[in-house]
Amino acid sequence: MMGQAPQQPVGTPRGGDPAEHHPYAPVVALNGVRKAYPLRGGGQRLALGDVTFDVARGEFACVVGPSGAGKTTLLRCLAGLAMPTSGTVEFEGTPLRQVPAGVGVVFQDYGRSLFPWLTVRGNVDLALKARGIARDSRPARIAEVLASVGLADAGRAYPWQLSGGMQQRVAIARALACRPDLLLMDEPFASVDAQTRFGLEDLILRVREEFGVTVVFVTHDIDEAVYLADRVIVLSASPGVVTEVIDIALPRPRDQVATKRDEAFAAYREHLLGLVMTR
Amino acid sequence: MAGAVLAGEGRLAPGAPGRGWGLRYGLRLAVLAAALALWQALSAAGLIPGDEFPSMTATVSALGHLAMSATLWAAVRDTLAGWAIGLAIGGGCAIVIGSLAGLSGFAYRSVIGVVEFFKTIPVIAILPIALVLWGATLTMKIALVAFAVFWPLVIQVCYGVRSLDPIARDTARVLGVRGAREFLMVILPSAAPFIATGLRVSVAVALIVDIVAELIGGGSGLGAQILVAENSGPSAYPVMYAYILVAGLLGVLLAGLFTLAEGWVMHWHESHRMAAGHAG
Amino acid sequence: MRGEAAAAAGSAQAGSAGSSARAGSARASTVRAASRVAGRAATRAWLFAALIGAWWAWSAGSTSVYFPPLAKIVRTLWAQWAVGPARAQLGSSLEHLALGYAIAGLAGIGIGALLWSLRYLREATSPYLYFLYVLPAPVLVPAVITVFGIGAAMKVVIIAFAAIWPTLLNTLDGMRGVDAVKLDTARALGMSGARRTLAVVLPAAAPQVVAGLRNSLQVSIILMVVSEWVASTGGIGYYIVTAQESFDYLGMWSGILMLAIVGGAANLLFVLAENRLLYWHYGARAVEGRA
Ligand SMILES: Nc1ncnc2c1ncn2[C@@H]1O[C@H](COP(=O)(O)OP(=O)(O)OP(=O)(O)O)[C@@H](O)[C@H]1O
Ligand SMILES: [Mg+2]
Repeated sequence: MMGQAPQQPVGTPRGGDPAEHHPYAPVVALNGVRKAYPLRGGGQRLALGDVTFDVARGEFACVVGPSGAGKTTLLRCLAGLAMPTSGTVEFEGTPLRQVPAGVGVVFQDYGRSLFPWLTVRGNVDLALKARGIARDSRPARIAEVLASVGLADAGRAYPWQLSGGMQQRVAIARALACRPDLLLMDEPFASVDAQTRFGLEDLILRVREEFGVTVVFVTHDIDEAVYLADRVIVLSASPGVVTEVIDIALPRPRDQVATKRDEAFAAYREHLLGLVMTR
Repeated sequence: MAGAVLAGEGRLAPGAPGRGWGLRYGLRLAVLAAALALWQALSAAGLIPGDEFPSMTATVSALGHLAMSATLWAAVRDTLAGWAIGLAIGGGCAIVIGSLAGLSGFAYRSVIGVVEFFKTIPVIAILPIALVLWGATLTMKIALVAFAVFWPLVIQVCYGVRSLDPIARDTARVLGVRGAREFLMVILPSAAPFIATGLRVSVAVALIVDIVAELIGGGSGLGAQILVAENSGPSAYPVMYAYILVAGLLGVLLAGLFTLAEGWVMHWHESHRMAAGHAG
Repeated sequence: MRGEAAAAAGSAQAGSAGSSARAGSARASTVRAASRVAGRAATRAWLFAALIGAWWAWSAGSTSVYFPPLAKIVRTLWAQWAVGPARAQLGSSLEHLALGYAIAGLAGIGIGALLWSLRYLREATSPYLYFLYVLPAPVLVPAVITVFGIGAAMKVVIIAFAAIWPTLLNTLDGMRGVDAVKLDTARALGMSGARRTLAVVLPAAAPQVVAGLRNSLQVSIILMVVSEWVASTGGIGYYIVTAQESFDYLGMWSGILMLAIVGGAANLLFVLAENRLLYWHYGARAVEGRA
């Protein structure tokens, strides 16, 4: 039901040792991915120029880059929503041709991604139905996943009756409902306020341990990337290519106050800012 | 995309209780009373001749008599039958065909020109053909109503299906929602506002066409009764106006029911979320 | 969206051709653009042509009196309506239509604007306006005949009366939807009430007013025919009903086609005028849509 890959136990806290980052075969591997969009009236626009990297099982990878760098394009290629113009994307060892069952996606714009005609439960339920989960096991799964994002009581509400942060948590719950191997997130917290954002960052770190899911997280917030990631992948300005990959050797579990006070945090931050600003 | 969306007129403003509620309804009643009184006064003073336009009291008493008679209710039933069946057939076909055409770019571009053309043909042009084929029957009325409703609605359904938000479409894809489930759970609900706009207009158009079919095609119903009354001469004019009032009330009733149903089905849509807070 | 895979495949080929192809790419892209336009026109027209062709072929050998061959209908159409006696009928119909529609449009916008500015009158009358809007206008034809008799006045009155409501209600609705910032801006600029209505409110409400005018046009055409049909002295409706009653089915079909042409042409004129008048609206929307 979740792709061919065996379920591997992940969930032990990952420390700062870079050697621990590649214990298994990669979940996704991009090889020389280029993506060009056709323009009106002929011609084309290169959004991604030759991107190669892979993401190990259990890893938390953040992609940062300036606006228009092709981050969303990259994520759509990873999700199988768009086909690369050239190069390959492999998910669990097989080339991607369509959206694989083992991938969950959280879009930036929760207002457009959550279906307003369905309740919170209905939204999660739709994901379970679509993956053929038996009717009698669905209520328990819904309750479980809603509880893990702290929305145990919001099931009957409609998404638009909730605050922005709560809506994005519904979207996360829906993406996790089918226990994906890989969770893709496109600037998921860009449109919530700062406090809510910190809460959501900790939430995503927690559920990622709980569900043992590999995460690729797109953001243009350097602090957020350093705080969350095991590895930060830096894209250049358009057309995006990988300019640097930085291992973040900050200890886990991370803490909004302690981690951000760390000198190492400041060093990563400064280094990344330099990379993104000059390009 | 010019003219993609039908005009939105004819939406009953929700009359929410609240501040100014009493004033509003008081004013409305006063206007009604004044209009009726003016009508009566003009007839009584002989300013409108009774053999052209009946007095208010005569019309209201004719309406009272009609309400007791079986003729009125039979006519209402016949009119409603043509309206309902025609609307169901035309609307059903429009939803099926519009969805199919909206799902593929090629089908959409092929169909849209034909649909735009047929939409501009006045229904009334089809009436003689329907009369030749079916005579003054219920089938004739149904065919006309279905034809009249189909063309504007099919365009709305097409636009609605095509207006699916790309992010909603991507969401459906990554969730693995496909086929019939995608259609019923994602595409149709997201097209619903467009379909509702089309239906709101269709409800009124269907009634108009239905009554035209009775009035000049001779199908039984309110339209035929109005014609009978007119042909019976001035003594039957109160009855004619009573029927006209009934036709208008029927229109208000059907449109009101549609608004209720729409609010119920579309409760999740922006325009209905805070209905209680709006003042008409 | 659906074409994305195909487009991606196409650009993959273009990409593999490499930069050496860049020199000829300007000419190639012009050719490609031209063929795309031609292709789009062809997709829009083929079904239409196929339907007419099918009707033509299917009816070619028809001996049914009800469904004469299309070729004959077209010939009758030409003989009757283009060069023949029915031209006068067409002229009288169009005259009534134009007059009635113009009255309805002007009165609809005027009364709509007036009601918008007189809040209490609007509150008091809105349910009755709505009643008149949903009242199926054709039922009034017999009533109007009893008052105005059978003649041009009756037809113009009935068209104007029926067609006023869509414009009026849309004007009112559109004006109510004008956003407060625009109004405050106008007030801050010191515009008088009438000036505000003309210079700010009416243009802002224009898209919806135009939508109302379009509906009014369709209602006008229907009422034009109904009035001629019921009270026959002349016009397209009169022509069709007399042809049908005298079993002249060729004449009836030619009248139907004529009516379709009138409907199509009126709509076309309307759209052309609308695009001229509202180009700013659609322009702004197209830009928003692309973002
Ligand atoms: N459907 C499309 N058609 C044509 N060009 C596109 C399309 N989608 C994206 N692009 C172009 O590709 C480039 C990369 O876009 P993308 O949305 O991936 O950037 P991004 O890094 O996500 O930017 P942001 O941080 O603003 O979200 C941009 O220059 C954009 O204009
Ligand atoms: Mg983006």
